[in-house]
Amino acid sequence: VVDQIRLWQIEGERMKTTPGFLFKDFASEWDFQDTARYAEELGILAWKDSKRRLMFATRTEQIVDYLKRRGEQQAVGRKV
Amino acid sequence: MPRVNKGVLVECDPSIKAILLKIDQDAGHAYIIEDLDESTLVVKEQKLADLKHQLDAVLRKTSMQEREEESSGDDDGDF
Repeated sequence: VVDQIRLWQIEGERMKTTPGFLFKDFASEWDFQDTARYAEELGILAWKDSKRRLMFATRTEQIVDYLKRRGEQQAVGRKV
Repeated sequence: MPRVNKGVLVECDPSIKAILLKIDQDAGHAYIIEDLDESTLVVKEQKLADLKHQLDAVLRKTSMQEREEESSGDDDGDF
């Protein structure tokens, strides 16, 4: 019985789980760094790997909105 | 626009992660979305509870085997 209890105690610390969203396939180094920086500023960046251009954020709406706005600004910039 | 996948970030000891990878492999990659680094991976949200149960089963089996080995080791010592 003691062993069983010990097992359940370990269970609590075995895995740290954070629900959220994995972002991958960034178009460029700049695209990745800019997006990761924005997520970090918002305090929603849980994990990132610059080499593989992968990041995990706890929320997605603000990042998607930001990427849309950024894309529109770049399009306007090209026209001007 | 990058691709976005919903999931659960799992941070654990590398030894635990090795077991999780084995469980995922044996199940035809039903659990893991992405292997991130030596102690981190992303798991399908709806599969997380199932994966925890599988891990429990493996660990329980391992600790039982260890106890059996310990007691058989004692027997050898006695005789």
